[in-house]
Order: sequence, then C-alpha cells, then structure tokens
Amino acid sequence: MVGEEFYRREGAEAIIVRPLDDIVLLYHRPSGQTHMVISPVPEILDTMADGLPASATMLRDRLALLYDLGEGDVVGEIGQHLAYLDRIGLVRPA
Amino acid sequence: MSAALLVMALRDPATTAALDATGWNSLIAMARAERLIGTLAFRLEGLGVPDAVRPILADTRDDAAREARQAIWEADRARAALAPIGLPVILLKGTAYAAAGLPAGRGRFIGDLDILVPRDRIDAAADALVAAGWEWVKEDPYDDAYYRQWMHELPPMIHAERDRMIDVHHTVLPLTARPTPDAAAMMADAVLITDGLYMLCAEDRVCHAAAHLLADGDLQGGLRNLWDIHCLCEESSERQDDFYLCLFEKAAHHQLTAAVWRALRLSHHLFDTEVKAYHVPIEVDYKLRWSDRAFISRLLARNGWGQETRKALVFAFFVRSHWLRMPPLMLARHLLTKWRKGHRPQ
Amino acid sequence: MRHSLTLRIGPATFRIGSAWAQPIDQLARLYADYPDVDGAIADFTVRLQPTSAVRRWVRPSIFITGDHGLADAAPMSLAHGLLAAEMGMNLQMALGWRRHLLLHASSVEKDGRVLVMTGESGSGKSTLAAQLGERGWRLMGDEFALLDLDSGAILPFPRLVSLKNKAIDVIAGEVPAARMGPLLGATAKGDIRHMVPRADAVARMGEGGMPALLLFPRFGSGPAERPVGQGEVFMRLTQASTNYVALGEPGFAALTRFVAQVPARAIDFPSGEAAIAMVDRLWSEIA
Repeated sequence: MVGEEFYRREGAEAIIVRPLDDIVLLYHRPSGQTHMVISPVPEILDTMADGLPASATMLRDRLALLYDLGEGDVVGEIGQHLAYLDRIGLVRPA
Repeated sequence: MSAALLVMALRDPATTAALDATGWNSLIAMARAERLIGTLAFRLEGLGVPDAVRPILADTRDDAAREARQAIWEADRARAALAPIGLPVILLKGTAYAAAGLPAGRGRFIGDLDILVPRDRIDAAADALVAAGWEWVKEDPYDDAYYRQWMHELPPMIHAERDRMIDVHHTVLPLTARPTPDAAAMMADAVLITDGLYMLCAEDRVCHAAAHLLADGDLQGGLRNLWDIHCLCEESSERQDDFYLCLFEKAAHHQLTAAVWRALRLSHHLFDTEVKAYHVPIEVDYKLRWSDRAFISRLLARNGWGQETRKALVFAFFVRSHWLRMPPLMLARHLLTKWRKGHRPQ
Repeated sequence: MRHSLTLRIGPATFRIGSAWAQPIDQLARLYADYPDVDGAIADFTVRLQPTSAVRRWVRPSIFITGDHGLADAAPMSLAHGLLAAEMGMNLQMALGWRRHLLLHASSVEKDGRVLVMTGESGSGKSTLAAQLGERGWRLMGDEFALLDLDSGAILPFPRLVSLKNKAIDVIAGEVPAARMGPLLGATAKGDIRHMVPRADAVARMGEGGMPALLLFPRFGSGPAERPVGQGEVFMRLTQASTNYVALGEPGFAALTRFVAQVPARAIDFPSGEAAIAMVDRLWSEIA
C-alpha cells in the first residue's frame, strides 16, 4: 500500500512479557510503565519480534497465516493498534 | 548542628567514618531534606558504612537509577513530540546531566523535565506537546497570566498517561529579572548528546546553574544547585585548560558575571572546587566576600532533624528572590495576591 | 526536637521527634514490649511539629512530616497526637520504603502460611485481621503487608492495630485493657483506638511466611464469594501498593509472581462471625 506507515518493535530487552490467565502484562523498561493488553496486541508484537520494519498490511498477512482473522477492516484495526503502541513506546516509526 | 555536616560528607566522604548513630541520623535527614541523598549514596559507594546505613544508601541508588531512566524516557517522548515541527530538544539541568552521563547527574534528584525552546516557537511547542498527550496543569487565571506575562517558562504541563511534568522554558531567567542572559546564543551553542537530544555547552551549563542558584531562586535547594556547579566545573576544567577563562567570558556576555563569580566562591569554599585564579587577561580571585556569609548561612540552615533553621533569614531570601525578579510595585502586587491565597514561605 | 523515641516495627526503624511530650509518652507505653532500639540508626525520621510557632502552646496543632511529607497534610490537634505519630510512620513507609513491595493489606499467618486481605478503608480487613489474631492466627499486620522481592514471602509489619468506630467495641471486648490505647474521639476518620498486637506477633515480627490465599473482603452484605481473575487481582494490587511504580522491574516481577501463584477470592460478609466462618472454610479448601 502506498504511503503506509512502517513501524519496528522496540528491542526485546526493552519489554518484558508476562501472560496471566485472562490478560497479558507488558513491562516497558525505559519508561517503567506496565501495560495490560489483550488479543490481538500480544500477537501483533510477536509477529514483529524480528525488529524489522513492518506495516499494518504486512502484519495482517503474517497473522493470517496463524489465525483466522475474520471479516472487516483488519488492516485498519491493526493500524490503530500500531498507533497506540507507538504512543506508549513499544514500537517506533521505522 | 547545621548542614555543614552534609557538606563535609559530600566533600570528603571518608570523614563519615567518625560519625556515631546520631551523626548518621542527622546526615541522612539533612541529605533527604536537601534532596542530596542520592548524591551522597554515590559518594559513599564502596566505603565502609554501618550495617543499618547500607540498605538506605542502596535503596537510594536504585531510586536514582530508575529516576534517571524514566527522565531519559520523558526526554525521548518530548523529542518525538517536537520532531514533527522541526524543534530539537535542548535539555536543561538534571535530565541533561543524566542523558549525557555527566558526573553531576550521579544520584541526582531529577523531577520535572526542563527543556529550552526559542521564544518565537513557544506556542508551536505547546501545541505539539498537547497533541502528544500533555495537558495544562489546572492553574488559577492569576497564576496563568503571571507565568505568561513575566516568567521564563510556560505554565507547567503534565502528561495525561505518564503523570510526568514538563517545563518549557524560552530563556533561563524570568523576563523581569535584571540580568538578561542571551538565550538565543545559548541555544545556538547547544551541543548534541544523542539522537535528537541536546544540552547547553559546558560554560552555559554553569551560567545557567549559577543563574538558577543566585539570580532566580530563593536558595531553596541551594546546596544541590551548588553541588551541580561543583561537579560541572570539576569535570569541564579537567577536560579544558582554560575553562574558567571561557566561563567568565560567557558569563559576561550573559550578564551573569556576579552570579557565576559568587557561585564559584561558594563552591570553592564549601566543596573545595579547584577553581583557577587569574591576573591576566582578567583579575579573578576566590576570597570570600563579606556578603557571601549570608549566603553560606542560608545554604547551611538545616538541623539534625532535617528542619530548616533561621526562619528570618529564609524569609529574607524569599523576598530577595522576588525582588530580583520583579520591579517593586509588581512585587507588592504579586505578594499580596499570593498571600491572600494563603501562600507563605515555608 | 525536644522529645523523641526510636521504634523498630518489622524490618523498619523510625526516629520520631515531637515538639510535645504527650505523643511520645503514649507511644512509649504502647510499644513498651517492642525491641529496645534506643539510639539506633533509623531508616526514617518522623517529625510532629507545630504548624506555626504559636501553635506549640495555643490550641496546639500538629503538622505531620519527616523525611517524606505531604505539603498539604491536614494539621491535627494535640489530643490526637498518638494517631499523628502513627500516620507519620505510615507516611514514611508509603512514600519511602523500597525493600519490599508494600501492599495496603492486612495479613495473618498459620502453620507458616499467610492469608493476605486487601480492600478499601472500611472493607473490614483490619478488624477481621485483629479478630483472627485473637483466635489462633498470628497477626502480621493490619495496614501493610510486605512482599519480599526475592523470595515471594510476606513479611510482618505489626504496628499498633488501628480500630475505628464500631470495631472498637468488638475488639475491646476480647482483649485485656492493658493492650488498648486511649480512645481518640472525633478524628477525621471517626473514633479511633489503637490495640497492641499479642506478644507472639511482636516476638516473631522478623519471621515471614509464603502467601497461600488472597481475599478481597467487603463488610456489609452477603455472605457471598466469587473467584477473581488474575487481571483484576493484578490491577487491584497495583492500586493497593504505594511503591509498585517506584520499585520498577523488581516490583513487577514480584507482583506478577504473587498474582500467578496465590489463589484469590472476593468475599462479602454481613458480620465478623460470618467472615471468620468463611475464612476458615476457604482456608481448609484452598490454602
């Protein structure tokens, strides 16, 4: 997609991931903040683990191999999650 | 008992070997009150201290490390917020020292993020920060008008999610203060720390700290400011032969000669800063002046329970700090408004 | 300061200074059986000082402060000096303690395992802990539970138990008068009376235990009981901790381990007796 934003995940050493029974906790070392997230945020971060730049479309394609993503504007939804993750510092514009 | 105990421990940490329990209790209470406990903890690192003191200092070092990490993160967020409008982030004070790894930053209490932006871009900077999630701390209209009309900074903003404050300065002293440092020159001379973050150059860092200590504040937290000056000078003079000459040159340009000179005398006297005297091209010595005595009394006005002593002197300095910043009529108006609202020094 | 006293409660040592003799005398009486640490190096300094010079003598008014203080702390009358001293110590712990994760919770121990109870002020957690402490459990603390960052154990902080309003009569009926402090009437939180924990709670104040059950008690309805999901437990405990953020990563590691390992239940109860019955049943079922 032309003009789509690319992001890369912060290094693995910056984020600690702890799944509990009903949520996933992310501890972000640089800010000292704890984030509580639910699906699909942990999955999105997982597919960005290589640290390389990725767009919402690319992530949709990767996630589609692993999960049934259903109908609707999946790319738009992933894009919103990426913007949120950028704001809290877990991903950066690439 | 006065904060001379704390000054001695910072200056020569080995002297703490002679302290008894009362001495340690006093030292710790004073250091906490002056927000120098983190600095003290680093100064005492590796020295033998009583068992009961060790965990107190270790906790403090952990706190300082965490605080530095978060301060650097806040600076990075400000960088990300201001990058779209092409403004570099010039860090001031604690965050700058921490980000650059300066000795002055070791264990230093940091608090708010202070940044410097050009005066004609201040509204754009505020808009960009608001867009990135900072909000105005709700102030009453009088305080807001006061800040905007007379101060050297925007009213404080706080980040809605991270709960951290930012102070956006456009110069280093209030507009009403008599010295008018050349903020544009300070910005032009700023040096890169890393990745879009800048700090003032070595001489301007001392000029700013001295202005903050003597021309701006009421000497609240004065010992900490003076310790900054000591560390900044020691580090820069080691690196640069004629540092003090360059410093006086800059100070003259910023109309801060008196403040810098006094700060150096106080720092030399209290912390044994290795200042350099000159005969040519300028005449500079560091003998204490009569007027320095009141400053020293004020800086050391703290007892073994961490309480401020010499209330009258403290009050005199509160009035003095406002006097320096504002012409008398404005001062009267301001004090009246403040006092009606029940605000009193200490 | 004119009057002073040093106290050790659990792992923390406090140096308390006061402009008046009364709060120090009352502390000395109620903490008489705690370890004698006169002249020790303290973790914290607490100060009870006049709000202004004239307030030392005229309608004496106490400003509570110390190493850590709140600029806008409300002044208290000298009649409530004992409460002021206790609040001053709590303030230091809440704002300054870093050696454990601090949970605003009561805790009791039996057979080396610990029951932790957390909830808002008025939830009944303090009264329930005090009652259990008189019935075969060891009271570890009514206000703060200390979670050890390395071992995951809960450590005691057995300060005086602060009983409020109706809880005063309930407890005063069960314990000897010598263990009760003076009645402090009409404080900001109503009537308050302090209770000295039993001798074994004080003697074993250095001894922790592994947490076995977490309860969110709520006085006033029920009896009812429900399991609480780990996400909710985590969120409520971060809100109940005054130093979770300040501890950073070690706090995160300790709290996530606690949440993952300790079963949690919310209980609503109409009376103290009902609560004790529920605790006994849950303890035998789960813990």
